[in-house]
Amino acid sequence: MYGENGQLLRAELSSMLKQHRIQLRIGGPGTHAVPVTTTVEERTQIGEQVRRYRQSALIWCLQATITVGPVAESRLSPRASNPFRLPAAQHGGLAALRKALDQTVRTSTAPLPDLAELTTQHELPLVEQWRQVARAAALGEHDFDAGLGYGRLDDGQLHTLIGDIAATVRALVVLDARYATIPGWERLDHVDRLGWAALACALDASLDPPDYSIDMRGWRPKTKVISGPARPGLLGVLQAEHNLTIRMRSFPSAMNLRLVADSQRLLTGGLATRVQKVDPALSEVWRARERTYVDLQRELRNVGGNVGVGELAVAEGANAWNRLKVLPPGAQFDPRIVHSFTKLFANLDARIADVVEEGMQRRAYFLRVKVPGIVTNNGQVVARVQERFIPPVEADHTAIVGLVRDRLRPFPEPSTAPPGAARSRAELHAAIVHQPERRAGGKDGFGI
Amino acid sequence: MLLAHAITLTKARSYVAALADRASTAEASSAYEHALIELDWIHGDDVPALDTLGLTSDRDILILDAITTILQLADFGVDALAIELVLAALYDAHDLDAA
Repeated sequence: MYGENGQLLRAELSSMLKQHRIQLRIGGPGTHAVPVTTTVEERTQIGEQVRRYRQSALIWCLQATITVGPVAESRLSPRASNPFRLPAAQHGGLAALRKALDQTVRTSTAPLPDLAELTTQHELPLVEQWRQVARAAALGEHDFDAGLGYGRLDDGQLHTLIGDIAATVRALVVLDARYATIPGWERLDHVDRLGWAALACALDASLDPPDYSIDMRGWRPKTKVISGPARPGLLGVLQAEHNLTIRMRSFPSAMNLRLVADSQRLLTGGLATRVQKVDPALSEVWRARERTYVDLQRELRNVGGNVGVGELAVAEGANAWNRLKVLPPGAQFDPRIVHSFTKLFANLDARIADVVEEGMQRRAYFLRVKVPGIVTNNGQVVARVQERFIPPVEADHTAIVGLVRDRLRPFPEPSTAPPGAARSRAELHAAIVHQPERRAGGKDGFGI
Repeated sequence: MLLAHAITLTKARSYVAALADRASTAEASSAYEHALIELDWIHGDDVPALDTLGLTSDRDILILDAITTILQLADFGVDALAIELVLAALYDAHDLDAA
């Protein structure tokens, strides 16, 4: 998830930006109070390893600018009237940043860290922090293809991402100047241009309030079927419903979809009855869902189509209902389990709505229609019936489409930012301009 | 599928669907739906559309009509065992409905 990787990246950079006197932290000279513990060659090797980790962070920044580049529009330019078209003019600051990053990455002599370097803990805390930065950058590459890619972000999220890239680049620029005393350290190429381009992007992105809901996007581990024996009580019903949601990822045949709809109707009705006294509002919501499935089931009677599978989904639906049926009527339920059904129901309803619409669009489902006026007994010995299936679009049969769109598909909820999203960014910005605290009693000395 | 077969099947499906719509409990309605799905299944889901408009609301009449039309399907080459299984599902649903 972008939020996790981004937060790790920012947290480690913030922590490193608060560290001054880098030579001391890698065992080098700097003060008579701390002995020198590493040789120049060792410090050179440490510097090279840090540069390899830094290269990973730079490439993350470059990839991020490439990802958002085609769709990003500067907030200084007038807003495009058509959101489905690419912006007329490119984002000047972002283009400059991408060019500068490209130049910096290409001229750097440091290779990317290998897998062993990314996964092996380092004894020096400073290098370990750089390893975490590189790790977050490597993991963050998943996010661009899984939720942050082309055209998937809205305007606010896009500019939040640009602001994050700019802050990361500025942090790397500040750290680059601070690490210049490490033996054999290679400065970033055209570092001034990089810093100014990042500043321009940061200022441009800050013109409108940020949208931190981007943190909820990105790559997530795939949810898996909960295997094994049935959990006791209502948890077993939840287990089966969860498995059903996953099994419905495969496209079901029309007949299996009817059986799934039947299981949901029974399950929702049964649950609504059981929670009626504890939570009347939730019970009412589930009654409405039950009515929706009754109507859906009625509409599906005249829908056919042998394309698809769905046997496992049917089995899990039957499991859910059978497990609920045997629970005693007056059983006390854990409210957390009860409310977990709401989320699962929303996911399943959205999937079934997708299945119905997709099935009709790609003509996997057909409406059974008796074509009027064609069948006539014309005196033949064998009169063949001219029944046929026709696509729903052709049939002008919008009842099931309306039902799916208006009642079954859950209302999209506005995405919310995770807690700590704003704080993480504020800390990085504060760390970029961080100055070491004065020593107590000292006039001009700085602590480390 | 011959015209007479299609008409009989349409009637059978309509009667069972009407029973599902008029069932006294959700479980009985679901059981009728399962009987309907089984009826469709033995025809490979290649069945004509049903229409429950204008049918009586008396479940006793509907169940008799449903049984009669399903039995008539044997005249059109439908497997007798499959018919018996559909009827068994229908009887189970009716028992649930009457309980």
